[in-house]
Amino acid sequence: MYSTHLAAAGGALYDCPMSYFSHSWLPFIYQYGLGGIIFIIGIVLTLKAGSFSPRTNAKHKKWLSILILGFVWYLVMHGAWILAALGHEGWAVAGGVVVMVLAVITTWLTFHRSRGAV
Amino acid sequence: MDGVTTFHSIGSSLDWIVMIVYFAAIMLFGSYFGRYTKSTSDFFFGGRRFAWWLITMSIVATGVGSHSFVKYSAKGFEHGMSSSITYLNDWFIFPFFLFGWLPIIVYSRVRSIPEYFEKRFSPSARFLATILLLLYMVGYIGIGFLTLGKALIPMLPEAFHLGGLTLPVTLMGAIIVVAIVTGIYITFGGQTAVIFTDLAQGAILLFAGLMLFGLGLVYLGGFHHFWDLLPVGWRLPFPDFNKPPDFNFAGIFWQDGIAGTIGFLFLNQGLIMRFMACKNVDEGRKAAAVNVLLVMPLSAIVVGGAGWIGKAISVAHPNVLAPNTSPDQVFVVVANIIASPGVFGFVMAALVAALMSTVDTLINATAAIFINDIYRPVKRFLKERKVTTRQRDREELFAARVASVGITILGVVAVLAFKNFPTVYEAHGYFHSTLTPPLAVAVFLGIFWKRFTPAAVIATFLGGVALMILGARYPGILIAPFDHGIAMNPDHPFSYIRALYNTVVCSGVGVLTVWTTGWQRGVAARVKDRTKILVALTAVGVLSFLVVAMGWGSFEVEILAAALVVVVIPLVVTATTSYDEEENTRGLTVWSIDAAKRMFKGGRTPNEFGGEPVPVSWKLIDDDGEGRIYLSAEDMETLEASPGDLVYLCDRRGWLGGLKSIHSVFGEPHDEPGVVFVNEDQVEHGLFAEGRPLVATKEM
Repeated sequence: MYSTHLAAAGGALYDCPMSYFSHSWLPFIYQYGLGGIIFIIGIVLTLKAGSFSPRTNAKHKKWLSILILGFVWYLVMHGAWILAALGHEGWAVAGGVVVMVLAVITTWLTFHRSRGAV
Repeated sequence: MDGVTTFHSIGSSLDWIVMIVYFAAIMLFGSYFGRYTKSTSDFFFGGRRFAWWLITMSIVATGVGSHSFVKYSAKGFEHGMSSSITYLNDWFIFPFFLFGWLPIIVYSRVRSIPEYFEKRFSPSARFLATILLLLYMVGYIGIGFLTLGKALIPMLPEAFHLGGLTLPVTLMGAIIVVAIVTGIYITFGGQTAVIFTDLAQGAILLFAGLMLFGLGLVYLGGFHHFWDLLPVGWRLPFPDFNKPPDFNFAGIFWQDGIAGTIGFLFLNQGLIMRFMACKNVDEGRKAAAVNVLLVMPLSAIVVGGAGWIGKAISVAHPNVLAPNTSPDQVFVVVANIIASPGVFGFVMAALVAALMSTVDTLINATAAIFINDIYRPVKRFLKERKVTTRQRDREELFAARVASVGITILGVVAVLAFKNFPTVYEAHGYFHSTLTPPLAVAVFLGIFWKRFTPAAVIATFLGGVALMILGARYPGILIAPFDHGIAMNPDHPFSYIRALYNTVVCSGVGVLTVWTTGWQRGVAARVKDRTKILVALTAVGVLSFLVVAMGWGSFEVEILAAALVVVVIPLVVTATTSYDEEENTRGLTVWSIDAAKRMFKGGRTPNEFGGEPVPVSWKLIDDDGEGRIYLSAEDMETLEASPGDLVYLCDRRGWLGGLKSIHSVFGEPHDEPGVVFVNEDQVEHGLFAEGRPLVATKEM
C-alpha cells in the first residue's frame, strides 16, 4: 500500500526548509521550565504545610520519589520524541531506554508496600 | 465548512449488529451492578470501598471518553502527533492534588465542591459556586453529546424512509436519541453501575484504540513507512509555539495544562466522586498516578492514532482519504478504511460507549450536586416533615433519578452553544478557557491559602467574571497583552490563551481582596449596623455588575463598573458574613490535614503505626448499637490497632476490587484468632458471602 516514492513526495510536500525550534525545543523549555516551577512550588508548599512529610512517613517518602521520577519520565519522553522527530535516532533510543527504566522504577515504587499513614 | 468532504452511511449491517450486541451487553453488565445501589451514598459514591485499579480503569473510560477519539483524531489529522499534548501535561499539578486536595475531599467528607465552599467560606459562596459548577458540568455534558452526535452521523444515512415518510438525519436528532439511551442507563444504574461498566469499557477502549493504530500501521506497511510519510513538523510532540490560532502550544498550555488540569482534578465532580469511591487516600493516589504516568501516554496514542494514520494515508493515497476530509469525521472514516466489517462495528461501539460513559459520569455527578446543594438545602429551608433516615434516603434516591433525567435534557440544550465551532476541540478549548478559571482560582486559593476569605472568594467569582466578560468583549485590548504572539481570529478570538487572561484577572481580584482585608474590616465595622448604607452598597455592586454583563456604556464606563464590583462586593460580604479564620479553615486547607484526619476519625488521634492486614473468617453477632467489628487481641496486635481505630473489612478475593467490603471501627478485642464478629447490617452492606474469608486492614 505504500511506496518509497510516495514517502519522498510526502516529505518534500510538507518539509519546507525552516527552523523547528518554535515547534520543538521552545515549547519543551516553556513546558518544563514554567511547569517545573509550578511543580516545585507544589512540593515545597505541601512540605511546608505538613500535609506531605517524606522525612517522617515512609509512604510519603515513596511518593516523593514517584513525583520526581514522574516529572523526569515526562521530560525524557518528550525530549526523546523531539530528537527522534528531528532525525537524531541514536539519542532518541538512549532517551527511550531511560524512559523504560524510569517506568519500571516508578511502577515498583507505586506498588511496593511501605508502612506509614495514608 | 466549505471545501470539506463529509460522509454518510459508512459501515455495514454486520457493524450495526456488533454495535447493538455490544450495547446490550454493556447495559446488562451495568444493570447487574446497579442492584448494589441501596442508598444515595451508593448511587453517588459507590460506598467508598474500591481498589485503585478499578478506579484507574474507570477514570480511563471517563477521561478518554471526555477527551474523545473524535477531537484528538481531528487535531492529529490536521496537525500531527502534537495532538498528544493535552494528554501529557498534567503532572505539574500533581503535588497540589495528591497532598492537597485529595486528602481534604476524603477526610472532610464533603460530598460536593459547593459544599466545600460553604464549609470553607460561607453559604453565599456555596450558592455562587453551585451556579458556576452547574454551568460547568452541564456545558461538559453538552460537549459530550455533541461529540457523540458527530461520531454517529457518518454512520447514519442522510435520511430514514419509513413508508412514505422521510426523516432527515440531523446532528441534533442523533444527539436526542443518544441522550435518551444514556439517561435510561444512568437513571437506573447509579455510580456502582458506572464504575463497573467503566472498568469493562476502559479496557475495551484501550484495546480498540491500540488495535486500530496497529491495523493502520499494517495498512501503511509498518511503523517505519508511517513515520517516513509524516513531515517532520507532524512527528513532533508539540504544536508550534504561537501559531496557528486554532492550535498553538502557548494557548493550549494555559487552557489545558493549567486551567484544564486544575478543572479536571479539582472541579470535575465526576472525577472527584471516583476518588471518593476509593477505599482510602493512598489508593486514590495510586489510581491517579497510574492513570497519568502509564495510562495517559497510552491514551494519547489511542485517541490521536487514527488522525495520524489518516494523515499518512492522505499523503500516500489521497484518492483513498482526501486531505480535505472533515476533521471531526476522520476517526470514523479511517476506522472504516483500515478495519474489516464487524471490527469497524466493534471499534465504533467502543468509541460511542466511552463517550456515553463520560456523559453518564457527568450526569451522575451533576445530580449529586443537585441533591447536595439544591434539594437538601431547600428541604431544610422548607422545614420538611419528620421522616426516618431510610425514608429520606428513598426520597432522595428518587429525586436523584428525576434530576438525572432533567440534567440529560439540559445537556442536550447546551449543545446549541457549541455546535457552531469548526471542531469539537475548539469548542471544548473555548469552554475550558471561559468557565474553569474563576472556580479553579477560588478552589485553589481556598485550599492553599489560609488567609483567603469569603469576601475574596465572592470577589473572585463576581469581579473575576466581570473582568472576564470585558475580556471576551474587548479581546484586542485586554487579552492581547497575554497573547504570546498568537494572532487573533475575529470569529473565535483567543480561544485558548484567554485562559491565561481569565486566570490572571480572577487571581488578581482574589489576591487584591485578601491584601485589603484590613481596610474592608475597618469600613465594614463602621457600616455594618447601618442598613441603608449596606443596601446602597449592594445596589451599587449589583448595578455595576449588570453594566458589565449587559454592555451598558463605553469601554471606560464598563472598566469603571468592573472596578466598582471589585471594591464594593468585598465590603458588603465582609460586613454581612460572620467568618472565623481558625474555625472555617480547620481540616479544609492544606495547612490542617492533621485536623482533617482527626475529624475523620470522630475527634480521636489517628493511629499512624504500620501494621499488617489480617485474613479472617466472619461470624454473625447481634448489633451492639455502635456498629463496631471485633477481632482477637492477637490479630489486633498484628494490625497494630487499638479499639476505636478505623478498619476496612473486605472480601479476600482481590479481583472483586473492594465491591464486597465495609468501613467500620474496631471494638474491644476477643480471644478467637482469625475470626471477626460482625452484625447483620454489616454483612448485608458489605455483601459478605457465607464461608468466604475476609481481610481486615487498619485505616488509621
